[in-house]
This record gives sequence, structure tokens and C-alpha cells, in this order.
Amino acid sequence: MRLRPATVSLLFALVLLAFAQTTFAQALDISSGGQPTITGAVGGSVTGSANVTNDLVVTINFGEVSPLNTNSIVKVVVPIGIRSNQPYQVAVSMSGLNNANSEAVQAADVGFGVQNIRVLGGAGKICTQSTHVIRSPFNNDPATTATVGASGRVLYTSSLGNLSGSTVILSGPQLSKNNSAIRQQSDGYVFDAVFTLTPQFFASGISSATLIFTISAGPNVPC
Amino acid sequence: MPRLKTINLIFLTILLMASAVTCLGQSTTGTVSMSATVSKFVEINSGGSVTLTGNSGGGVTTDGVANSPLAVSINLGELGPSNTNSFVTASVPLKLRSNAAYVLSMNATVTSSGTTSSKIGAADVGFGLGTVSRTGLGVNAGADTNATSGDPTLAANGSVNGTTGRYEFTAVRSNLSAFSSSTTALSGPIIMNAVPRSNANGLTVPALFAVKPQFFENGTTTISVTFTVTAP
Repeated sequence: MRLRPATVSLLFALVLLAFAQTTFAQALDISSGGQPTITGAVGGSVTGSANVTNDLVVTINFGEVSPLNTNSIVKVVVPIGIRSNQPYQVAVSMSGLNNANSEAVQAADVGFGVQNIRVLGGAGKICTQSTHVIRSPFNNDPATTATVGASGRVLYTSSLGNLSGSTVILSGPQLSKNNSAIRQQSDGYVFDAVFTLTPQFFASGISSATLIFTISAGPNVPC
Repeated sequence: MPRLKTINLIFLTILLMASAVTCLGQSTTGTVSMSATVSKFVEINSGGSVTLTGNSGGGVTTDGVANSPLAVSINLGELGPSNTNSFVTASVPLKLRSNAAYVLSMNATVTSSGTTSSKIGAADVGFGLGTVSRTGLGVNAGADTNATSGDPTLAANGSVNGTTGRYEFTAVRSNLSAFSSSTTALSGPIIMNAVPRSNANGLTVPALFAVKPQFFENGTTTISVTFTVTAP
């Protein structure tokens, strides 16, 4: 029997497809979890994709955070999508925000919390033997837990100052029912990363930071 | 030739698959970049109620209210010899706040209805800034530079002119003639630490005005003073 070239190609493609599915099947994935939002900003903005199948690439501009901004707080909510076919953990690392002037914006001045972990559609795996755990101290909305410290400066229950190296903020059991290599609209979980900055008499200047969210295999908890 | 076509098709398929895998794109990392801007900020407000002393008639028409915009109106009353007090003085508390080094400037105009040199002029209105206070939670310690000579009623700051007999405020920047154009009265380093605007503390300093009752030409006089704080 002699196969035609086209048939050979087709068969080869199928083999490659199977190989690709095996190799790249959804193990651990992080993506946009929806449209980020910002409130209380003067001259600020947040950009990111509303599509949960797009990569997590968000740019936050808190805008003016001197007393020229008379709002009580600038709050940004960034939904983040996560998918896995195994127990997972999400860690965050930060670069930037290393102002030498202690009166300028510091990492501790940016409130950071994790809230509202929820199923992303019908293919999100609901495990009964383990829960998704927001690691301490990040399980709070920094907009509601902000207080004025002994120095008069605003303090948060958790902030970017709590990040040290790669810091685990969330972990739990399997996230997705299926094992698709394709990001879908409804095959995982979403949580909100909440960032806040209270306008204060900071020393003038521009501050910036970059956060890397990483999903990896987590503690081996049952589903 | 057919063999070559098969190889080409295989390569094409590999390329398509590679492309497909890339497009299916899952990722284990995501990025959130953030920035914030802090502009220089300065403000001047009332530091509280005005104190008027030595007046005969007159009074505080519009008083200062702490932490509210500075808009004070004072009637100094009678400034002729019928007022037997040595000085009519008004102390106007100012409150300054900033997240940067600041300069407080002042500009004054004095207008009298009189027509002779004996009318009240800018040089007849003594002026100085009193003791600067940086106290309270969130207020940064720092040394301020008072460009005036302080309380204009101090003996060191004025005296009777031996030739004309007129009382004169003679010290540096001790009367309003020194402020006919915007002139620095006070300057210093950053006032506030990183605290919210709701923190009501700040730098306080009294602006002291004084007039020596004399045989001025009769008439009415209007004194207008504007304070401006900037962050150069």
C-alpha cells in the first residue's frame, strides 16, 4: 500500500497534534480575569484586557497621590484568572519602589490584598476536600483596612511591603475540570488583586513598580 | 519530486503546529506594572482667630477659621491721637503645609484718602512674622528663615524719628513699604511628613500688624495684604 503525500502529511499532523496536546495540555496557567477598574484617581488610569483568554498584562497609573488629590483613597481592582489540572500556588514578586527618601512613596504605602476568589464558569473545578487559601496577611481589602499609624502615616493590613522575594499569596487544589490546552472562558477561577494608595504629603516625584504573578505547582492537597 | 512535496508539506505542518501551540498560549506568569505621581503641594490657610488689641472702635469684621481659606477683614478703628494706646495691633494666625520646600511671600497695598505726607502710608503700618511653630503629629522638624524682624512693636524695631517726630518702623522688612511688590517673608524646608491631608497639623506663624496712633491726616485708610506660598 502506498500512501499519498497529502495523507502522510495529515497523519503526521495528527501525531504532532496529539503530541502537542500531551506536552502543552493545561497544567498551570494565569491570565487576565476580566476588566480592571480604578476609583478615586486624579489623572490616573488602568489598562488591561477584559478578555479572560488574554495574558495578564495590566498597567496601573495611580495618578496624582499628593494632597492635590482630595479623594480619600485610590483603589484598583485587577481580576486575575488561574487554571490548573493539579494543586497550585500563586506567588508575587516585585521590583522597583526603592525610593531613598523615606517620605516618598514606599512599598508599604501601596495596600495590597487578595479578595473574592470565585469560579470562572462551569468548567471550574469545585473541590470538596480542600479550599483555596489566601495566605496571610493578604486576605483583606486594603481600602477598608487602612488605618493611620502612630506616625500619622497610613498603614495597611497588607501592602507591597509584605512581599519578600517571591511571596506566595494563594494556594489550593485543582482549578479546572478539563485538561484543555486552550484557554477557555469558563475553565478555572478568578480572584481580585486589590491595590490602594492613599493620597498623602509624600515627597514629590514619580514612583513605579512591577509585579510578576506566577502560578506553579502547589502543596499537594486533595480535591 | 513527489518526495520533495511531501517533505515540504511536513515542514508546513510543523510550522502550523508550532504556530498553533503558540496561539493557544498559556502562561505561568503575568505582569502588573504600576506608577504614581506626587506633585509639589503647598497651601496656606487660616491658623485660627485674629487677636486685635489697642484698638479704639473697630473690631474683627471677618475672623479667621482654623484650616479654612485665609480671608480676614479687620477694622483697626481710630488711629488718631484720640486713641491713647501705644499701638493698635492685629495678630493673624497663618497655617502653612507643604510636601516640599516653600516660600511665603507677601504683597501689600495701602491706600489713604488723605492728600498730604501726613496721611497714613505703607511705612506707617508695621509688620512682622512672629514665632514659627512646627508641632504636632506628622509635622516635619525643620529650620525656617524669617525674613522679617518679628514683632514690629518691639523697641528694637522702631522709634520716633528725631527729625520729623513721626514714629517709624525701622528694622528690616518691618513695615508694609517693604512689601509693595511680592516679597519673601518666610521660607523653609518641607513642612509635612507623609501623612494624609486629613491630618490638620502644619506650620503656624502669626502675621503681626501694628499702627502707632499719631497725628495722621484725617481720613480713611485701606490696607490690603495678600500672602502667597509657593514651592520653588
